[in-house]
Amino acid sequence: MGQLVPNSGLSTRDSGLPPVLLFEQVSKWYGPVIGLNQVTLELRGGITGLVGANGAGKSTLLRLATGQLRPSLGRVTIRGIDAWDWRAKAKVGYCPDNDAFYEDMAGREFVRSMARLCGFERAEADRRTEAVLDRVGMADRANRKLGGYSKGMRQRIKLAQALLHDPELLVLDEPLSGIDPLGRQEMLELFRGLAAQGKCLLVSSHELEELEKLTDHVAILARGRIAAVGTVTQIRDMLDDQPLSIRIDAADPRRLAALLVNRPDVVGVDLDPAVLGDGAAGTLVVRARNPRRFFEDFGRLVLSERLDVARLEPLDESAHAVLGYLLGGSGRT
Amino acid sequence: MSLPPATPQLLRYRALGGPRLGPWQGVKAIARSSLQLLARRKLFWVLYAFSVMIFLFYFFGQYLMVFLEQRVNDAMVRTGGVFGRTIRPEFVTKMLRDALHMDGSADTYGDFMWTEGYIAMVILAFAGSIMVGNDFQHNSLPFYLSKPISRRHYLFGKAVAVAAVVNLMITIPALALFVEYGFIDTWDYYVDSARLLFGILAYGAALTVTLSLLLLVTATWLKRTVPLVMVWTTVFVLCRLIHRWLVDQLGMSPQWRLIDIWNNMYLFGQWCFGKEHHLLRPTNQVQPPYWQATAVMVAVCVACVLYLRKRVRAVEIIH
Repeated sequence: MGQLVPNSGLSTRDSGLPPVLLFEQVSKWYGPVIGLNQVTLELRGGITGLVGANGAGKSTLLRLATGQLRPSLGRVTIRGIDAWDWRAKAKVGYCPDNDAFYEDMAGREFVRSMARLCGFERAEADRRTEAVLDRVGMADRANRKLGGYSKGMRQRIKLAQALLHDPELLVLDEPLSGIDPLGRQEMLELFRGLAAQGKCLLVSSHELEELEKLTDHVAILARGRIAAVGTVTQIRDMLDDQPLSIRIDAADPRRLAALLVNRPDVVGVDLDPAVLGDGAAGTLVVRARNPRRFFEDFGRLVLSERLDVARLEPLDESAHAVLGYLLGGSGRT
Repeated sequence: MSLPPATPQLLRYRALGGPRLGPWQGVKAIARSSLQLLARRKLFWVLYAFSVMIFLFYFFGQYLMVFLEQRVNDAMVRTGGVFGRTIRPEFVTKMLRDALHMDGSADTYGDFMWTEGYIAMVILAFAGSIMVGNDFQHNSLPFYLSKPISRRHYLFGKAVAVAAVVNLMITIPALALFVEYGFIDTWDYYVDSARLLFGILAYGAALTVTLSLLLLVTATWLKRTVPLVMVWTTVFVLCRLIHRWLVDQLGMSPQWRLIDIWNNMYLFGQWCFGKEHHLLRPTNQVQPPYWQATAVMVAVCVACVLYLRKRVRAVEIIH
């Protein structure tokens, strides 16, 4: 599958500057195995979700973006600087998915050592350590040893060390994994706040529902290629070969079905209760090829025929469904 | 009069600013955190205490020898303590000079650095996984490599930590012994024995570089403590036994001793101290020429550098 949307420019504020993150025809081989295949991606700001099945190349893309790997072909740049260069890394914060810490260290000590690693003097490192620990809600618990931390606390410490040097690009690999619902809400607020300050966030997550709460702008990876970049709705609209399923609750579903089946964008109407499930007597499911045009057409139809419609709901416009269509499977990541 | 309540303000994330030094500052941070990890291990302090005891033994041994030579004119002296007995000062002086070589000579520093080096080697064998191997084993590298440093800086930081341990245990105490001997003997010692000072620094540098590289290579390769200790035992103990058996028992060429990297470093050190080759102890063991030992040592270091270069370029560094 080719690229549906080649790039995304979200911010106009820094349009004069090179993109925060730019992949130019990047390929990466691991011996005979290809990890990424001619990926072109441009991020200028905001939050972008990175989704894809296991082995799709997410980790490779994140490691290339954070300068941990060098591309076999093509170029990865951060604000115009080669991502491999330490000056580029100074603009990137990385929160890895694994939490292999020095278990004997206290959280505060670990974050402080990471601050020194960023090149800050002792006083500045201490100041930044306290600032980021406070920011992630760990200031009062950071003196405990990392070995005794819960999964959620470890996630927060990882996030804290990623924020230390005030990066322009924040790369987050499964940042919500293991965090309780309340903590997730806090983290999501934090991410939104960072994005509002002009940071560019690239978030890889298996938890599409959480990702959808955070952003509707996603990059979908499949078999080492960027299958699509854009908002979920944009991507969904471009899937011509996958009609959108829409649930409609109406007072007279049979009449509505008869009217709809003749519309040009409708490819099928389902009235079978066995398909729709129990309690779906007044419900029908329409499969439409061009959703935008269908909705406009449907609105006119409702008005002209004076139809009584109680509910109109796209059933497969979620990132999960879109991913499933793109990957040709269930959408499981 | 009470002040009006302050206007509540929403907490906001303050953009962080401030000077940031280059990646070499990160090298210091890596070395520091590695040493902190090492200092948390009790075994390190036990072995380090043993190393300090050896230093104190040499320190007071030198002092005793000079004291007996220059200050004691009596034919017999009585030692203090519970087991006090009467001894001849010449007997003690002869033992300190001929058997223990605590006379501020090349043998003094050569023996001291050799002995301390062995303890440092044991510490490093156990510390390798803590300082380096665990980063590879537990996949901590992304934390390091996503920071504004390169892999070169990471490895250099680890090497600096190893070098700090080696020099703290070997070179600096040897320099302290050198300074001490000049104080208790004559000031001319510093001038007359400048070659010894060069020898201490050169032998210390050889131990530092070789042990650092060997530790980085074995720790990045093996990662875990037990295999690392086994390999170091093979390199530093088994090879020693093998070359002794081949050369001393079977009468094969002394070049077989070159398989012992520890012996090669010792020979290099003696070369730097200016020791005549035919005076090397034990005199009944024929040793290969100095240059050959040095060449093998340099070759091992070059091989280690090439391996590390390949290692840091390989994908496998990030599992």
